[in-house]
Amino acid sequence: MGSEQPPQTSEQGQEPSQSFRSQKSMTKAERRELQEKQRATKAAAKASGSTGQANKPATKQPEGGGEKSSGKQSGKQGSGSGQSTQPQNQHQRRASRVSGVGGDITRPGGGPGANIASDLASRSINPRGVRIFSHFGLQHKSGAGKGLIHPAIVRLGLLFSDFQITGANARCLATLIAFKHVIQDYTTPQNNTLSRHLMTHLSAQISHLVAARPMSVTMGNAIRQLKLEISGVDIDLPEQDAKEALCGTIDSYIEERITAADQVIAQSAGLKIKDGDILLTYARSSVVEKALLRAHEEGKSFSVYVVDSRPMLEGKKLLTALSTAGIPCTYLLLPAIGSVIAEVSTVFIGAHSLHSNGAVHSRAGTALVSMMAKQHSIPVVVCCETYKISETVQLDSFTKNELGPLNGIFSTFPISIPRESLATENTTNLEILNPLYDLTPPKNITAVVTEVGIIPPTSIGTIHIALGRQIV
Amino acid sequence: MPEGVQAIAYQRNIEVLVSKLRRRQIVGSRRAALETLLVLRQVVSKARFSNIEQLVEIIHSAGRRLVEAQPKEFSVGNTVRKVLHHIREEYRTAAKKAPEDTALSISKLVYQGQPRRRGVAPKSEMDVDLKEDDPDDPDSFARSLKPVLMEAIQDVFDELETVYDSISKSAKDHIHSDEIILTIGQSTTVESFLKAAAHYRNFTVIVAETGPSYRGHGMAQSLSEAGISTFLVPDSSIYAIMSRVSKVILGAHAIIANGGMFAVTGSLLAATAAQAHSAPVVVCAGQFKITPLWNLYQDYSALDFSDPSSVLGFEEGNLVDKVDVINPYYDYVRPDLVHAYITNDGDHPPTSIYRLIKETYNDEDIEL
Repeated sequence: MGSEQPPQTSEQGQEPSQSFRSQKSMTKAERRELQEKQRATKAAAKASGSTGQANKPATKQPEGGGEKSSGKQSGKQGSGSGQSTQPQNQHQRRASRVSGVGGDITRPGGGPGANIASDLASRSINPRGVRIFSHFGLQHKSGAGKGLIHPAIVRLGLLFSDFQITGANARCLATLIAFKHVIQDYTTPQNNTLSRHLMTHLSAQISHLVAARPMSVTMGNAIRQLKLEISGVDIDLPEQDAKEALCGTIDSYIEERITAADQVIAQSAGLKIKDGDILLTYARSSVVEKALLRAHEEGKSFSVYVVDSRPMLEGKKLLTALSTAGIPCTYLLLPAIGSVIAEVSTVFIGAHSLHSNGAVHSRAGTALVSMMAKQHSIPVVVCCETYKISETVQLDSFTKNELGPLNGIFSTFPISIPRESLATENTTNLEILNPLYDLTPPKNITAVVTEVGIIPPTSIGTIHIALGRQIV
Repeated sequence: MPEGVQAIAYQRNIEVLVSKLRRRQIVGSRRAALETLLVLRQVVSKARFSNIEQLVEIIHSAGRRLVEAQPKEFSVGNTVRKVLHHIREEYRTAAKKAPEDTALSISKLVYQGQPRRRGVAPKSEMDVDLKEDDPDDPDSFARSLKPVLMEAIQDVFDELETVYDSISKSAKDHIHSDEIILTIGQSTTVESFLKAAAHYRNFTVIVAETGPSYRGHGMAQSLSEAGISTFLVPDSSIYAIMSRVSKVILGAHAIIANGGMFAVTGSLLAATAAQAHSAPVVVCAGQFKITPLWNLYQDYSALDFSDPSSVLGFEEGNLVDKVDVINPYYDYVRPDLVHAYITNDGDHPPTSIYRLIKETYNDEDIEL
């Protein structure tokens, strides 16, 4: 049966630990396939009445190696319950399914009791959830990349993976600045040209960063632009001049696409703030923060509801910035939004990336805020630079997302809650997920404020064309 | 006979409960309902009355006292109304008063709105001679009626005791195999409902943490210990997860006459997100939560606020005196967001809640 999967073939003699490791290296789909196959084989073996194979200890079954929650369970059940040679009856099929899961616990005599027991046993493997959330996958921190990794990149990788630097803008800025260091410290090896070799050198740095945390759309766009510039470097240009030219391009990219863009956005967003307005914002967006502070400096009087939620509780930082500047603020957690949303005049949110179908990929919870605002016919304004626009189409928040780890800043609970009552780590049957992003459908967004103007979300796709494709 | 002593005895019981409600030492609809019932039993057993009006007035005043103590704990008032309803029924049977014409007609439905009096099984099968306002023996009325009244109260008590089991009875009819269910907070009703369904079905539950109380953690732990595959997510990812959720099951604090409900903060968010993804919203609640109250205007006055320090603690010292913090206790969920109410009295659409109220309570008792 296992000839296609060499590491798993010797079902009889394999040590469990070994089989676990080998299964880890397989993809989910492969493991799934293997399970099904084993089940089928088991069922067949049972039906034919051959107990020879079925009598081996259940712990030796390589089943469920990849599923954390089931690992312990199957061992326990296997050692506790002996193999029962169930006579062929209507429960045969069900029983054989359980035997594939880890230890037969069917009772002789069948009946409804056995039915329930078998269902309970099969439930413990948590198959559905694991399958449906498996693609979220946590990034492994092992950043042992190939090739020479520049210290600035190593440092940045650690900051990324520890969530010390978060936010699409901050991450892109940090990456570009680190790349400037990389380029300045770079020397072209003999018999090679800068435009060719620097590219491969940078690729190693990039994959190190991606290993630390998945790349943001902003980083992707900036890196693509940088690669374009590198490939366009004249071969005859002296190395030092070429490096300086590249650093100059990076500086102007930062200046044009981020710094200046933010100022323009803050100005145009300010046009939408009137005296006496009650604004609402979710979590913390650097652009929204700038826009609100600027409007306050311009002398507009308004108040702000800062909505916040776990896992990151970033809103507290925004709250500090706004209240220090003297803007009257009200702070609330996301579940309470239903009580205040009706009073709000405009909702301002930031974005992680924009997609060409008009969907906004942003901090988890943004979609809920804009949904509630839409329900109450309150305009939702997204503040977003054009370099955050991705040419892809995204349809829901489920297919592409990122999970936050369980510890560190992700255990941001108020002190007033007793820690022991909280579930902070995965146990049998219980898995904790911290998705970091969600997708706001374009129908819930009124307008997008970019540095090229205030546009409806449906026109996002045209920005590329308007700006000329090679710039992005 | 020292008349004041007995009155004081039950007055003290009432006062004890009043202060407990006021200090929020009793929270949770069912607990409040049970405590109310215990006090009412005391009141009925100790009360002196010589006709039904006096008894009703005594209970009314006791109920008023309790409701005023904690107006947001609707189950207190509901229990009082329910007891009154039972007492009236018992009295009618005992006094062999012909019940109002039971024949159905549209005009009656419109005028009275009470097509079906809830059939309270008559307890008084023995022929008691009810003498109201007997001048010779003013206590004779109370003496002969009290045993049946106590039994009637016991009925309400039993119903409350078994409410979770009765609701869970239909659990397997509502949940199919491999379903992904979203719930928020920790509602004992929902918890027992899901656990009951887990005996028959294999499904996954996603629990939102429900800040700032984060009671979803307790819920997730409890469900996973019962062998249900459970995922715990922050409130912020409700929308992201909702696209894969096939059903939303919520608990309620109070179900009100227009078919809407008050429920833990975050319910509105979950229900709205479910509507956006066309996932059905099912609410599990005991019948004692059905409240004869209308909330057509979603204003603050209908809500209750709790401690802001659980949202923004004093550890954020520099912020505390600069910002306002809002921490409402309940959300109002509109009837159009709810698809079904599962009660111990059967499953109902939100549109028929008003009818249940008409059947369960007497019109005279709605204003206590």
